[in-house]
Amino acid sequence: MLANVNPTRMELLRLKKRLTLAERGHKLLKDKRDELMRQLLGMIDDVKTLRLSIENEFQSILEGFMLAKAKMGPYQTEQALLIPKKKIAVTTDEKNLMSVRVPVFKKEVTGDIISYGFLNTTGEMDISLIKFEKFIEALLSLAEKEKTVQLLANEIEETRRRVNALEYRLIPEFLETIKFITMKLAETERSNTIRLMKVKEIVRSH
Amino acid sequence: MKTKIAAIGEKDIMLIFKAVGADVFAVHDIEQAAITLKKIAKEDYGIIFITETIAEKLDALIMQYSDMVKPSIVVIPGLGKRNNYAVSILRNAIIKASGTDVFS
Repeated sequence: MLANVNPTRMELLRLKKRLTLAERGHKLLKDKRDELMRQLLGMIDDVKTLRLSIENEFQSILEGFMLAKAKMGPYQTEQALLIPKKKIAVTTDEKNLMSVRVPVFKKEVTGDIISYGFLNTTGEMDISLIKFEKFIEALLSLAEKEKTVQLLANEIEETRRRVNALEYRLIPEFLETIKFITMKLAETERSNTIRLMKVKEIVRSH
Repeated sequence: MKTKIAAIGEKDIMLIFKAVGADVFAVHDIEQAAITLKKIAKEDYGIIFITETIAEKLDALIMQYSDMVKPSIVVIPGLGKRNNYAVSILRNAIIKASGTDVFS
């Protein structure tokens, strides 16, 4: 940057303007980074406990389901669940969280989870399905939260890079160039004064 | 916006998802899972559940979707051995964001 800059007053003014803009941007981005970080830290604990409890619960539901399936036989199970009555539609909305778009899921459930007659199926199957039906709500909220954490993390990384680029690269460069131009201009002015003095001296000696 | 729920994984686990009305895709091997995931990610599925054992091997593909709002890919534990893949994704995201491991 220093090599190809014109040490002129116009350039100096232009650079000073850019410097104030960069400083303002830097301050704003820093605030944004801090706020995003605060949001993220607030969510981490939630997501972590939710994730761990879901993993344990799902494991136990799955085990119950597998036992029920073993009791009924795989063919029978598949037949019982062949045409599900329950329908879940998820409405996805977007929420704006510090200019990060995060999803918000809302579910619409229709129908009953038990889609079979009770004749050929076991009670264990009903129990595990009903448990899973309640569980799906937690899964949806986990989906929403995990996605939010991930999107926030990406945004924070991007913002941090921008802040650092401004702080350690752009702003110091501007300051240096401004200093260079000021020095150069002062030097030119001094040399001009000296030249005038010299000329006057020569004129007087004649 | 209305979206659907999908689930990818072993056939046994898919049955229970079918019961709640999700669209299930039972897969046998990794290539098939990769193709299926790519295909359904383009359709209007808001949430895709994927079992841990498969997700671990499709890591690179899942990461591609991490910065999109849709679909939201959720890793669920499968049968058998656990590998904590989902927790490690979260941990990586947080290390990337904050520079330190605040997730311990």
